[in-house]
Amino acid sequence: MHGALRKNTMKHLRAVLCVCVAAAGASLLAQGQPAQTPAPGADAPPGPAIDISGYWTPTMNEDGMERGGGSELHDYGGFALNEAGRLWALSYDPSRVTLRHHQCDAYVTPYQMRATGNFRAWEERDPHNQRLVAIHWWAQVTEGHRVIWMDGRPHPPAWAAHTFRGFSTGKYVGPALVVTTTHLKQGWLRRNGTPESDQATVTEFFVRHGDHLMNTTVVTDPVFLTEPQVRSNDYYRAPVDHGTWLYACDDSEQIVGRSPEVVPFYFFGKQPYAREYSEHHMLPLAAAMSGAPSMYPEFAAAAKNMTDAMGTALLSPAPGRPSETSKAVDPEPRDGEIHVLPIRNNVYMLVGDGGNIVVQTGDQGAFVVDTGTGRLSDKVIAAIDKLSERPIQFIANTSFRPDRTGGNAKLGAAGMDPSLPGSFFVNSAPRAATGLFADPLRHATLMAHNNVLTRMQDNKIPEDALPGDTYLEERRRKAHNGDSIELFYEPNAITDGDSVVFFRRADVIVAGDIFTTTQYPVIDLKNGGSVEGEIKALNDILDRTNYEHEGEGGTYVVPGHGFLGDEHEVVEYRDMVVIVRDRVKAMIDAGATLAQVKAARLTADYDTRYGSNTGAWTTEMFVEAVYNSLKARK
Amino acid sequence: MRAAVVTAVMTVTLVSLSGQGRGAAPPAGPPSTPRAGALFDITGYWVSLVTEDWRYRQFTPAKGDYVSVPINAEGKKIADAWDPAKDEAAGEQCKAYGAAGLMRIPTRLHITWRDDTTLKMETDAGTQTRTLTFGKPPSAGGTMQGASVASWDQPRAIFASPIPNRGGPTVRGGSLKVVTTNMKPGYLRKNGVPYSANAVMTEYFDRLDIPGADSLLVVTTEILDPEYLTTPYWTSPHFKRMNDASGWQPTPCTAR
Repeated sequence: MHGALRKNTMKHLRAVLCVCVAAAGASLLAQGQPAQTPAPGADAPPGPAIDISGYWTPTMNEDGMERGGGSELHDYGGFALNEAGRLWALSYDPSRVTLRHHQCDAYVTPYQMRATGNFRAWEERDPHNQRLVAIHWWAQVTEGHRVIWMDGRPHPPAWAAHTFRGFSTGKYVGPALVVTTTHLKQGWLRRNGTPESDQATVTEFFVRHGDHLMNTTVVTDPVFLTEPQVRSNDYYRAPVDHGTWLYACDDSEQIVGRSPEVVPFYFFGKQPYAREYSEHHMLPLAAAMSGAPSMYPEFAAAAKNMTDAMGTALLSPAPGRPSETSKAVDPEPRDGEIHVLPIRNNVYMLVGDGGNIVVQTGDQGAFVVDTGTGRLSDKVIAAIDKLSERPIQFIANTSFRPDRTGGNAKLGAAGMDPSLPGSFFVNSAPRAATGLFADPLRHATLMAHNNVLTRMQDNKIPEDALPGDTYLEERRRKAHNGDSIELFYEPNAITDGDSVVFFRRADVIVAGDIFTTTQYPVIDLKNGGSVEGEIKALNDILDRTNYEHEGEGGTYVVPGHGFLGDEHEVVEYRDMVVIVRDRVKAMIDAGATLAQVKAARLTADYDTRYGSNTGAWTTEMFVEAVYNSLKARK
Repeated sequence: MRAAVVTAVMTVTLVSLSGQGRGAAPPAGPPSTPRAGALFDITGYWVSLVTEDWRYRQFTPAKGDYVSVPINAEGKKIADAWDPAKDEAAGEQCKAYGAAGLMRIPTRLHITWRDDTTLKMETDAGTQTRTLTFGKPPSAGGTMQGASVASWDQPRAIFASPIPNRGGPTVRGGSLKVVTTNMKPGYLRKNGVPYSANAVMTEYFDRLDIPGADSLLVVTTEILDPEYLTTPYWTSPHFKRMNDASGWQPTPCTAR
């Protein structure tokens, strides 16, 4: 299997077909934090800056094998993994990198700093005053370009996009450059599937000792770790340019004809190679899976008393325990304000009203996707007024749910659709002629799939909040504000009326509640949702995304709730839904009841990221929805 | 003429500052003793965080497993002949607890000032004591812990400024630098990966305070051994600061 891991890694490398170079700085700017003018002296270090510029070669005398040829499977010794982290790693199948959307995954910072390959660092200074603006750090492998901002700028808000390298700021503390990194993507702490979540934050210390550079990384990850993970990386200064700084990657077909619904993973307790590492090195099975205690001096003595049963128990979720709940930061500001995040071109994400809203502006009226809960509609309208010189012309709803349509009436009433009055067909009575519920002279046109209208009417929603411009089949198209906008119908995903909205030129997809970064998908069986439709919808989104560089950037995907994503967040979410679906299905096929499925804690590796035991959508409700959805199909 | 003046100034500056490189005393008003001039507080109890080379450090690896160590053919010959029973019989079960291996043994450290010029570093694993001496030449060595010379090390420009009286930048804080020589031959790993009596170990102890969290002690270590290593051997084990002696449990060396 060890060979298999290396083989897959080589496949990853062989997938290289063309050179794709992009400035990571561009993607960082996309995090909604344009460079700000710092206060005078804000970037002045407390002491002289140490210089880390130059060419650096890693001295891989520690963990040399994992950092070079590749780590052994199920070697998690010395990692403070919690149950979710351990189970995530055990469930991971290295074949997952054969999936198109994973082939070019880059390395997250804590792993990038530790990976093989050479590094190069240089300073960016303001040409006028020579203040240090940023330190750039380039990794040969994956073309990992980090920017460490030294100008005192703040970190982006919680709803901004994440990147593999994250958003880093630095300051000098004594002889060290201390760097804080947030907004990381989900990735690896070790290349055998040991996970790092997108909630991880990293503190780094760079210290120079002559021509030697020491980098200590401290990873704090509430999702997968019980305490900070400390590792150090050593580099030696090279007097000459290493060259070969590119690492091109393009995805390709690795397994022809494979269904897009296949995600390689192992069932809990069925990991066929779980014992390989311990048997090869004559260690207790539990030793490398013991989490934080394995880091401390007492561990070797304790390991002598570990039984095989103790190890076997660690291969599956602990029975009889309540589900863990999400340890993720809530990206919803909840401060009673509407916050605007520029995405690309003239497309913006508005955050704050209980569900993400998207606004496209231009010389026509504003095009709005979803209207939030409606509690802050006045502030939403005010925010749109600042962005758009013209009133709201169109509103598209991605579903009928209250967090998508709650502000329909108010936002609609704040707009108008000048494309209808005076037209050949409608003359002075556009409402009567078009079938719209509101007068387009005094109201924006509301668009959605026809099932949204039906559901809202069933729920006795007032007429002025109803979409009057509906479509029935695959898609609805609109050329507006210089972009091509498409609404794609996703039957039976969250509900039976979901639309995905695609701004083609801006390359922004609005997913509605099909994709969130905050919770398990709210599969609303009663209103036509299904787990299979949800997976299809996520795959349909992935069919339309592209990455800019090494698996990130490119097409941005706005979730119904949570931070701005790209295809990496969508594919991780898709993987999760497929894996949970397959686990539930396997138990159904084995004759399990719903109670047995719930008791099996089939989401244990994802609960610290998405789980909830209270509120409107709990882990139990999600598992029940998956179960009933699959049972209904049988 | 102007060039000549600049050259002369630079020469004077060079002469006056050439002795002020890494390891030299701070320029103005040097403290009376190394203890008074400590760049950071290294004293107290520290515990190993074994997060790297975990299998090699928490357990004794199999004979011949010297992955990651830049060992040469002669070193391999010795490592391949490792026999812990022989070490035990010879009373040499502490060969992995010598200075060049000790910081990577999972252990707790207790660091104190023995006097104004000497730091004492005790480990509970193997019940070892290292003595780090500032300034004066230490004992001749020839022991497992060898002879360690300590100094406070600040990154400073050797040529501070070409302009007289402008001084040079001085970074606050710094490292504790320790150079250890005259070690009795021992093991870099418990499975007999050797270092020789000619090995020279340079360590930089850095205290890193994580904002709002723990303090770490990182020991960046370079071992040069012309007898058994092909290149410098760099490691950087880390320790977490403890509030007290809890967990301190002196144990004897083990050869296996």
